[in-house]
Amino acid sequence: MKYLDTRIFVLPLLFIVLLAGCDSTDPDPEGVGEEELITRLAVTLSANGQSVTYEANDPDGDGTNLQIETMVLQSGTTYSGSIAVFDDVNGEDVGEEIADEDDEHQFFFIPGGPAAARLSVVATDQDENGLPVGLSFQLTVAGGGSGTASLQIILSHFDDAPKDGVNRSDETDIDVTFPVTIQ
Amino acid sequence: MVQVVLPDLGRGTLTNHEGFYRMTGLPLGSVLVEYRFIGYEPVQRKILVEGGENELNVVLSETRYGLNEAVVSAESQADVMLTRSTRSIAVLDTRELEDLRGQTLGGMLAELPGVTTLTTGPSISKPVIRGLHSQRIVVVNAGVQQEGQQWGGEHAPEIDPFSAGRVEVIRGAAGVEYGVGAIGGVVRIEPEELPFEEPVTGSVSANAFSNNRHGALSAAVGRGQGQHWAWRVQGSARKAGDSRTPDHVIGNSGFQETDLAGTLGWRHGQSGFRLHASHFGTTLGLFSGAHIGNFDDLVRAIERGEPAVDFEFTYDIDAPKQEIRHDLVSLSAHTGLPTGDWIEVQAGFQSNRRAEFDAHRRFGDPDKDPAFSLDLRTWSLDTRVRQRPRSNVTGNVGASVTTQGNKNGESGFLIPNFRSTTVSAFAHEMWVTDRLTIDTGIRYDYRWQRAFPKENLSSGPFVRRTTTYSDVSAVLGIIWRPLDHWSFASNLGRAWRPPGINELYNFGVHHGTAQFESGNPDLRKERSLNFDATLRHVSQRLTLEFSAYRNAMNGFIFLFPESEPRVTIRGTFPAFRYVQRDVVLRGLDGFVDAQLVGRLRGHASASIVRGRETDTDLDLIDMPSDRIRTGLEFEMRERSWLSDMSLHADVEAVARQDRFPEGVDFAPPPDGYTLVHVGASGTWTRGSVPVTFSLDINNLFDVSYRDYLSRFRYFIDDPGRNVSVRMYIPFGPDRNGNNT
Repeated sequence: MKYLDTRIFVLPLLFIVLLAGCDSTDPDPEGVGEEELITRLAVTLSANGQSVTYEANDPDGDGTNLQIETMVLQSGTTYSGSIAVFDDVNGEDVGEEIADEDDEHQFFFIPGGPAAARLSVVATDQDENGLPVGLSFQLTVAGGGSGTASLQIILSHFDDAPKDGVNRSDETDIDVTFPVTIQ
Repeated sequence: MVQVVLPDLGRGTLTNHEGFYRMTGLPLGSVLVEYRFIGYEPVQRKILVEGGENELNVVLSETRYGLNEAVVSAESQADVMLTRSTRSIAVLDTRELEDLRGQTLGGMLAELPGVTTLTTGPSISKPVIRGLHSQRIVVVNAGVQQEGQQWGGEHAPEIDPFSAGRVEVIRGAAGVEYGVGAIGGVVRIEPEELPFEEPVTGSVSANAFSNNRHGALSAAVGRGQGQHWAWRVQGSARKAGDSRTPDHVIGNSGFQETDLAGTLGWRHGQSGFRLHASHFGTTLGLFSGAHIGNFDDLVRAIERGEPAVDFEFTYDIDAPKQEIRHDLVSLSAHTGLPTGDWIEVQAGFQSNRRAEFDAHRRFGDPDKDPAFSLDLRTWSLDTRVRQRPRSNVTGNVGASVTTQGNKNGESGFLIPNFRSTTVSAFAHEMWVTDRLTIDTGIRYDYRWQRAFPKENLSSGPFVRRTTTYSDVSAVLGIIWRPLDHWSFASNLGRAWRPPGINELYNFGVHHGTAQFESGNPDLRKERSLNFDATLRHVSQRLTLEFSAYRNAMNGFIFLFPESEPRVTIRGTFPAFRYVQRDVVLRGLDGFVDAQLVGRLRGHASASIVRGRETDTDLDLIDMPSDRIRTGLEFEMRERSWLSDMSLHADVEAVARQDRFPEGVDFAPPPDGYTLVHVGASGTWTRGSVPVTFSLDINNLFDVSYRDYLSRFRYFIDDPGRNVSVRMYIPFGPDRNGNNT
């Protein structure tokens, strides 16, 4: 027999009403977007009782407003240096975490530019395996008057690849190049 | 125009208008005959063919539950292929699925001509239909359009491949039937039918793969309860460790998955309902050697050409990894109308939760705190009237509403939160005669979308962006069958999609390729006009299908390199931005299967795709390479305890992709490759239990290769030799209707 049983449709309609209810997708400005970032690298160089801090600052972490200060160095001077790293978006001192996991991190310093040969950097700290870290270092500027150069600072993270103190990893956390003026 | 099919012989014919039919040259003995017509319950009869004339008459009753879309109800019997659709359609039926059990869904579909996969290591594969994937493909699971985070190339469909009783792939635009997004094609996964009026039925399937020491188990059980009720429950579990290339272990490429699905059905007279629920849960590891910091790292990894670290095999999955849960509940109800038509209403709810874990997190435990997580919920309501055939015309009309919301978790922010609602209405009609079928339809979709990106994408407060999109989809197709064994089908289809939320608002670095991707809030909708023509032939010894197509897209959205790289404190990244261009994709695909001599069969399939920008004539990036697959299959003699025993050997040859835009990619396309696959399968009947088993060796010679559409091709080879063993045991009434 043929009959139209519309009662059957009560089921799916009821089902969708029960499930749909109310649901908001408005973002919570406090809770969303806490992405982990590195936004600021501060390099402090000290010599002859004076210390100057040079910063690379990327306030959003995405390069939109990246600013890198120029290092002004004295010819024929040896500086003791230290590095601090911050996430200003989340208010974190990333440098502390690097120090905690120093066996998984290493800073590499690569001089460049016309006077590259006059810059040399040696890490002065070691991790638990006796390998360099680079949070503190010594920067030597050879004599020879004024000139221009650059100093690239790379932070490698060693997760899978073992840290050997010489080679970089494929996981670069920081890679900035400071312009350098030698006076 | 009833179809008369002899499934065991792979033969068939159609009745004329008066319902008469005639078949000659049948072998003597018992033959199963099946009669089918759209909208009617198929009828099966067994007859004993003797010498001379045999007469067999049946009456079809109009009790079948509606039409199976525009596609003639069911099945892969070769003969039905001729009049299956005006579109180019490929089907994996129960038998073919058995041979592929245990593989990922993408891997199964890649067996079909015109379908390739976009892989992100061994754990993630996405189907690519005629060069298009992700948001340009619609996936329908158990009648409900799958709604996951489709936009990512490393986001595989969240579907248990074991749950499929039948898989159908529509190649080309199908906007009228499937709405927004059906630009490149459609993948339909149908669970097995409920076992109404049957005693307990079910199956157990066990599969093992050597390359990644992968084990996969699945079991299903169901039964009919009295006349009106039936149910089925199906579950599966899999665990795989690291895959290996001929030279290296692909570190952290393991995965695991547990899925459960249940269906309950009730029917009485012309009414019925069906409640279906499924849970999909997986954890996928991503090759850790592909996780790089910046562009300089990528360049060094490409130069090295192999992983920096020698990984050891393990089942452990560490970050980077993905955890995905997908739940679906649907309830559909149908009833007959006094006019003889059918009305059907289906409500669906889906929840898709994706968490991606980055390799290292400074503030937390990388394995516990996701780098980002997304929670997408979708509600849908579809109504459709399936018309009973009236003087050669049949079809269906319908309307649907879908609403969804996507929310970010506490960490990370890759795409903004959004809400959207889509309203659609369509009509699709077919005019069918025994030599000619004409298929036409039209559809209108309207989408309202509200997203909450940051003010200038990267920073600033969250803002509200409300956009609306609407367009018309249409189809016109024919099937012409000038000769009994030949048919020609052609289809002109229009489809569209709105820009994806990632294409509008994405902003950030894509790890693994070290490219900085920026969304483009000004994107318009993308439209496609697809033409394809298909030639089909089915005879006793030869089956072939050959399609040519041209898919013209207006406002095709893709990533285009920007002239200036992006310099951040993490280093330099090549910058890409979503742009829209007019492009044309064209290509050929097809297959042939022939009985060569005696019990030796040969088969071949091939796919070719070409994609170009219309204005600049530049080739499109990431188009699948040309490929051909040929093979031989030898059917062994039947024995009382061993049946369907066959041996096969296949050669798969993939060319190097020589058509790509200069200066965009980071490494040249990898070389072409040739793989050899061999295997044996059969059914061993012990007592009354048929055990189907197979042994396959893929990549027999352990060849090292990289596919152009492998996202890890910059870092490591694709997996090497893989030996697989499969076993499948059905219980309950078997295919011949005997009770075991």
